Amino acid sequence: MVAKLRLWSIYFKYALSSILYNRLIYAISVGTIAISLLIFGAFVLLSVNVRTWIQGWGQTLSISVYLKDGIDEGTREKIRMAIGTLQGAEIKGFITKEKALQDMKGMLGSQAGLLDGLTRNPLPASFEVAFRNVDRKKFEPKRIKEALEKVAGVDEVQYSEQWLDQFEGLLYVLKVGGLAIGGLLCVAVLFIITNTIKLAIYSRRNEIEIYKLVGATDWYVKAPLLIEGALQGVLGALIALGILSAIHFILSFKAIQVFGLPFMDFVFLKQSYALGILSLGLVLGLLGSFIAIGRFFKF
Amino acid sequence: MIQLFHVSKTFGPTAALKEIDLRIRTGEFVFITGPSGAGKTTLLRLIFGAEPPTEGQIVINGINLGRISGTKLDLLRRKIGFVFQDFKLLNRRTVSQNVALALEVTGEKRSVVRKKTHQMLRAVGLATKEEAFPIELSGGEQQRVAIARAMINDPLILLADEPTGNLDPDITREIMVLFRSINLRGTTVVIATHSRELLRNTDQRIIVLHRGKVLE
Repeated sequence: MVAKLRLWSIYFKYALSSILYNRLIYAISVGTIAISLLIFGAFVLLSVNVRTWIQGWGQTLSISVYLKDGIDEGTREKIRMAIGTLQGAEIKGFITKEKALQDMKGMLGSQAGLLDGLTRNPLPASFEVAFRNVDRKKFEPKRIKEALEKVAGVDEVQYSEQWLDQFEGLLYVLKVGGLAIGGLLCVAVLFIITNTIKLAIYSRRNEIEIYKLVGATDWYVKAPLLIEGALQGVLGALIALGILSAIHFILSFKAIQVFGLPFMDFVFLKQSYALGILSLGLVLGLLGSFIAIGRFFKF
Repeated sequence: MIQLFHVSKTFGPTAALKEIDLRIRTGEFVFITGPSGAGKTTLLRLIFGAEPPTEGQIVINGINLGRISGTKLDLLRRKIGFVFQDFKLLNRRTVSQNVALALEVTGEKRSVVRKKTHQMLRAVGLATKEEAFPIELSGGEQQRVAIARAMINDPLILLADEPTGNLDPDITREIMVLFRSINLRGTTVVIATHSRELLRNTDQRIIVLHRGKVLE
């Protein structure tokens, strides 16, 4: 046991001395790994935030109930009562036709003059309804939409799910894109590590020959090379996580808006994701070394 | 004891060794000689287990090399020291680190490695050069470092391939004295050389190789 520990300390010593000796090659390799894992990590970070945002927004799903023009107070009250019977529904406000037009002018800004030519206000009055703490999986906005549209005086119901669907689509694109780019980057990282270790083996082939001459086992020669690969992968991953963390730190001070809507808290990767990226670096490093070593020695 | 039974070795179409039958007793001092290309180096490499024979069997101290591989072969090599014409030292390491290497690979304690390295360098007359780097040494000194490294594990067999090929006559004599003293301690010594000077006036056994065959 003690002899094994002694050997491991020698393996680490040789690995570190080799890294120091070939420091430029290793710096370039670690830098490239860091950039690759950074791109992959950025996709993960973006996906995590979009998901968090969707989940957060899902807690306050909202619908807009547009009313027909010219309905009386009684009909409007009936609509208000119909909305009140929906589970978790809370009327956040009633927007009159005039307020809707005013809001539209506000949104158009300098182009507001376009509306001056209108002979009548085409915008409908509406109830803005929020659903608090509803289970998004059980929430059926389509059914609510159909039911409310049957109520007399209701012209149309629009719900935020339509927005969310678009974001779910964006999340899907991010996931697939992240996986595809991540996969390609993993292959690139593997290629880089394999070649760095191959260069290390070439530069140390005399040394390796001498080790074998004095009776070193294959493992004695291979272990430092595997450690070198693992260290490259882990160092690259740590640098990538460090940069991601710095980017997160900077962005968390800015108010981010997506399609005009304020983005929720910009969250960093969960510990498990960060550990995942670190493990990915480690596995790629070991695998790259393994491939390079396999070309020179039989396992 | 080194035994070769009908050993042949070919590299592609070229036959380096042909049907060699050889027996070298424990504690013997043997020269293997012959012109360049006779197969001297190949014979040593086969005895060392660096390459397998194309045909035949090689038995070292009762162990058939054809029946072991991997770690077992590595462990056997620790009992066989090898010295080369070009010394094969690591120029980035000091003299003591070069010698210690052969013990380090066994996982030996650092204190034991230090002690034995020092003793071995004293034995070859390099106690004052422990911290020097190989390139700071003369050819003869470098060869003595290589011999110290080959001997630090107390090998049963010491193989030397043209060990004095790069050395002048005075240094050659010093190195040969060192080999004889190693042999007197019981180590079997096998030296491959094409130097007639080295073989003149020797009373040791001489094995002559010619075109891959033994002409002893």
